[in-house]
Amino acid sequence: MSYKSHPAVIGSATHFVASEHTQALEELIYEVSQAALADAGLAIDDIDGIVVAANDQYDGRAISVMAASGSVGGVDRDILSTPSSGEHAFVVGALRVASGQFRTQLVVSWSPTEVSSFSEAQRLAADPYFHRRLPLDEMSSHALQASSLGARVDNLEDMALSIVVKNRRNGAKAWPDLASGSVDAAEIKSSPTLRWPVRQGMVAAPVTGLVAMVLASPEWVADKRRSDAAWIKGMGWATEPSFLGDRDLATLPSLAAATKQAYDMAGVQAPLQEFQVAEVADATPYQELLAYEGLGLCGREDWERQVSADAFGPSGKLPVNLSGGALTLNPVFCTGLMRINELANQLRGRAGANQLADVEAGVAHAASGVAMQYNTVVVMTSRNAGTAQ
Amino acid sequence: MSERVGIIGIGQSAFKARREDANYPELVREAVVLAMNDCNLGFDDVEGIVYSLSPDAMVGIGNAERLGVDAVGAKNKPFLRINTGGSTGISSVATAYYQVAAGACDVVLTAGADKVGECGDSQTVLNKIWDPQYERPLPLGTISMLAMSAVRYMHKYGMTEEDMAEVTVKNRHHAALNPNAHLRKEVTVDDVLASRYLCWPIKLFDACPQSSGGCAMILASERYIRAHNLDAVWITGVGNCSESYYLGDRMGQGVRADHADAYALAEACARSYRQAGITDPRTQIDVAELYAPFSNTEYHAIEAAGFAGLGESPAMLRDGEFRIGGRLPVNPSGGVLCTNAIAVTAMVRVAEVALQVWGRAGAHQVKGARRGIASGNGGDHQFFGTMVVEA
Repeated sequence: MSYKSHPAVIGSATHFVASEHTQALEELIYEVSQAALADAGLAIDDIDGIVVAANDQYDGRAISVMAASGSVGGVDRDILSTPSSGEHAFVVGALRVASGQFRTQLVVSWSPTEVSSFSEAQRLAADPYFHRRLPLDEMSSHALQASSLGARVDNLEDMALSIVVKNRRNGAKAWPDLASGSVDAAEIKSSPTLRWPVRQGMVAAPVTGLVAMVLASPEWVADKRRSDAAWIKGMGWATEPSFLGDRDLATLPSLAAATKQAYDMAGVQAPLQEFQVAEVADATPYQELLAYEGLGLCGREDWERQVSADAFGPSGKLPVNLSGGALTLNPVFCTGLMRINELANQLRGRAGANQLADVEAGVAHAASGVAMQYNTVVVMTSRNAGTAQ
Repeated sequence: MSERVGIIGIGQSAFKARREDANYPELVREAVVLAMNDCNLGFDDVEGIVYSLSPDAMVGIGNAERLGVDAVGAKNKPFLRINTGGSTGISSVATAYYQVAAGACDVVLTAGADKVGECGDSQTVLNKIWDPQYERPLPLGTISMLAMSAVRYMHKYGMTEEDMAEVTVKNRHHAALNPNAHLRKEVTVDDVLASRYLCWPIKLFDACPQSSGGCAMILASERYIRAHNLDAVWITGVGNCSESYYLGDRMGQGVRADHADAYALAEACARSYRQAGITDPRTQIDVAELYAPFSNTEYHAIEAAGFAGLGESPAMLRDGEFRIGGRLPVNPSGGVLCTNAIAVTAMVRVAEVALQVWGRAGAHQVKGARRGIASGNGGDHQFFGTMVVEA
């Protein structure tokens, strides 16, 4: 399948706030939306439709997206919302532009930290009969996945520690005011167990964060003579089954399926050669390893050798998570949209201290839910091949 | 002209107050199987799924769509959830439509279910939709919110409680003909007026029930429909529009959207009509399923759809214009007033219009219907979706 029209990212903004802040959620949403529009050089009147994503349990509201109506400029406009994940809002926004029925879309997602316990909020997502009493929060599911992987792959913890250090070092450059996690492997290894085998030092504490992105059609980009667009060339998204017991947690068939959708559409055959940068899910470092495999970057039999060789470090053959990833900065519900946004930033030349030179193509991977239930893959390029852009 | 998107399969439960024979995912599956049987397709034919589910709290499970993955056969397939409150169902159909229209998939299933009748008390959940600082403490509920709309409509246009009762009488008459409707007992104006007040002027019989059941629809590209020689009706217009979050922004002098009317719904209808090439809905639309959970809101929905001028619809309804057999039947299924399983209520509106223009609506068929409009309202009368469906 191929889209009728390939959308582009033409603007974006992120906003992170300290735990002690005085702004209301609506004010934060307004600011990040306006900043994304400003980055795109647009006014709200240029926006044809809006897709938002938030989580009722984290926001403490029923139908939490309602609060966005005015803040995103949605009055008189078309709003849809995807509470399944922040990255799904991007997917729907892109589909709407790809349908040829919209010129532009504003995509906004947010993740506050006022919830008294993320763990308790997440436990509400377990089925009430079998899993809720386990107790099963998302970190527990990530740990089960890491444990399952550890039973198949030798020296997994050492690889995980290397990934944490790599991403944190990237993050210290990307977010000097916000990054705070340890970059000392021994210190991380000796930190308390959070959910075995995930240690406290292997994850970043949740931070209040918001992400907004502006998408546009090729015709719009050409009309506005924009040269800083990131073009969506392929997109795939897929889900694992409902119950953990029905899954082999050491594998991610849904990521393979999402990757196939995206790569087939984009015509990607040799990702390691065709991409110059990747942003992947890393709520734990074990997720990043699964992403290497699922995205066709590195099979598990080769993980140890490639991680040891720093193949995915900033100077490696394919830098992964130059932004520092969620191991540096973790706006829980928005981490997936963050990965897509960071890839777009690299392709638009807006990645700041970690900007790579000559980036022409890259891949973003987002995962949400228990043990990476939802996987989304987006392939973007800096040039819209076959057109004047 | 770009390739069209068709509706090829429809499944809906016989909605009831309780479905203790089926858990939540089983209700979803029930509708999915009915939709697949309707078009003789199987799970292998479905390329993508849009899951329709409004507030998590209504089913008591956070991100409950994750538990519905197996029910819709989504393993390793494109799957995402839509929630725009009461309009979730039509927003889900719209998202499936965009997915096909974009060329991402040829066949997309959208499905969901709700157990509103078993959630304890839906109003306790819906009381939490308002801003916790300003409007939640009033206290506001969805009933009091639309009671204020009724009062405002009465003030502006002279609607009476009898006028409201006429809507219920009409829709219950229609529902009695629809085996899937929840409230199927016919009532009189006196019955409605004698029912207890929930929030003046809305009485029990002016209000929708809390229903349990599911709905599913299968959409496909015109290319796929032609290649597989399938029967279909066509989505020719899709329009969405939103109002403000704060009710206070819809009151007072000079407001953009008066709370008596359905300003954004009118705009959403206009967008659908524009895409479908409809310039005179009064003559070009044969049937309508308009989301109206309270009797009074059907009036401003009828006006927003362009079937009557502002304030004119009560008299036209009294004259029978919106009954089956009338000039332009509205809610021949009995509408939301007789069935409200929130997650799929607005999807049922599209499904019912599709069945009407397909000529498959059974005892509540509107004779000769070829083109219809469906609508959905969500949030605090805030998110509006509309869809034109044609044979």
